[in-house]
Amino acid sequence: MQFSYEVKDSYAEVKGSGRLNMVAAPKLREVVAEVVAAGSSKVVVNLEETVFMDSSGLGALIGCLKAARQAGGDLRISGVQPQVRMVLELTNMDRVLTSYPTAEAAFSDD
Amino acid sequence: MDSSPDQRRAVVIEDDPDIRGLLVLMLKKLDFEVTEASTGLDGIRAVRETHADLVTLDLNLPDIDGLEVCRRLREFSDAYIMMLTARAEEIDRLTGLDTGADDYINKPFSPKEIQARIKAMFRRSRASSSTAVEDELARAAEVQQSLLPKEAVMLDDYDVAGSFRPSRSVGGDFYDWYQTPDGLHVTFADAMGKGMGAALIAATVRAVMRSVASRAGIDSAFRAASATIAADLDQSDSFVTLFHARLNAATGKVSYIDAGHGLALHLRADGSVTRLAAAGPPVGAWSGQQWPASEVDLAPGDSLVVVSDGVLDAFQDLDEFTKHVEAAVRAQKTAELACQAVLDLAPADTAGDDVTALIVRRLDGSGELPEAASEAGELATASAAPSATPDGSDRQG
Repeated sequence: MQFSYEVKDSYAEVKGSGRLNMVAAPKLREVVAEVVAAGSSKVVVNLEETVFMDSSGLGALIGCLKAARQAGGDLRISGVQPQVRMVLELTNMDRVLTSYPTAEAAFSDD
Repeated sequence: MDSSPDQRRAVVIEDDPDIRGLLVLMLKKLDFEVTEASTGLDGIRAVRETHADLVTLDLNLPDIDGLEVCRRLREFSDAYIMMLTARAEEIDRLTGLDTGADDYINKPFSPKEIQARIKAMFRRSRASSSTAVEDELARAAEVQQSLLPKEAVMLDDYDVAGSFRPSRSVGGDFYDWYQTPDGLHVTFADAMGKGMGAALIAATVRAVMRSVASRAGIDSAFRAASATIAADLDQSDSFVTLFHARLNAATGKVSYIDAGHGLALHLRADGSVTRLAAAGPPVGAWSGQQWPASEVDLAPGDSLVVVSDGVLDAFQDLDEFTKHVEAAVRAQKTAELACQAVLDLAPADTAGDDVTALIVRRLDGSGELPEAASEAGELATASAAPSATPDGSDRQG
């Protein structure tokens, strides 16, 4: 799984397609750390093309959320697919990781 | 592990086998060659024989007390002595005494904290090895296997079983149970990640959960345990999903707390099924959480079934998962066979994660599972032998 990112006006969008598992998790952490270090602490992780997430993937999202909050921003997710939604709901982490239909919508109300 | 002159040696003197096991694992992870002792006298002998560099010493031992052990050790050993006590208030008193110990730790302890203290004391480069990764995986698998309960549950009117199939990469699953005067406690957990890291978290969770077993209420027990576990996980960006339940065998009442697991099912004798939702996120995932306890009544013929996400991954969604697990369990006559049937739902060749199942079944009057037996139209006699073969139900799959 490869991640790319794009800095928009009010947030940065991080995107990756495939399986967010133990192999992909450190990469996501790296990309988000890079984005935050470059000054964009409002981050949307677009999960439109993320078909699977395991506990390591969830751990990476939580770690990234902490990093964004520590930098004074936030991390939100968008385009969540069924399996990922199921993991978020089962673990109750949907209370913490706020999900939006699209990346554009994630910070539109701020 | 070789015994080169550089090899650091440790002796763990502790009578509680769970805590002893956890300490041994932690020290092995720090590359110590570890000798265990369950009594003070055995411990002194072990320190003398191994020329240990480090000793962890429980204050309350069955033969001579920890202070006396410490005094005798100091007659011949310069080892770094770490004293463990279950009573926090005792540490102040001990610190004021000239006990000969170098450090004091309060139980239940944080393995991270102990490791950090030991590392600080023994700053030396760790031996690196080309097979380190494989060694570590093999050790992680051993650790994980060692966490499973070794004693079967012998509880009148209940049939309790667990089953576990590790993945090659070693996930962090385990289950545990122990009987209590009232009935039974069970713990089912999955630590994030793979390998030794996950196995060690699992070992910590097991020991911490056992350390609160005697607390009166599940809420207070879980609060204490989760605080210790969360503190330990804090710096590692890791977490553990945890299902803990206490069964009152006489009434069938099950008090449970689910921290981010969400894969426990209540199968009723009447044919209905409820999934028990999690009360909060996994322990260590997010700070400031509370996990309220819930209750469920196990009537005769009901089953409590807890399954790991490795089984869930074999299905499209939760409904499919629930349907298949229910069918697999109802088709089997014993909890043990039912656990195996649940594991079989996750094909071995594609299972990248551990798969684990735990079942607590309250027997109905006949000692038989009513659903499968009556549906197959073959109400068996009261003697349900453990070796009974599964009936020919086609509900599975």
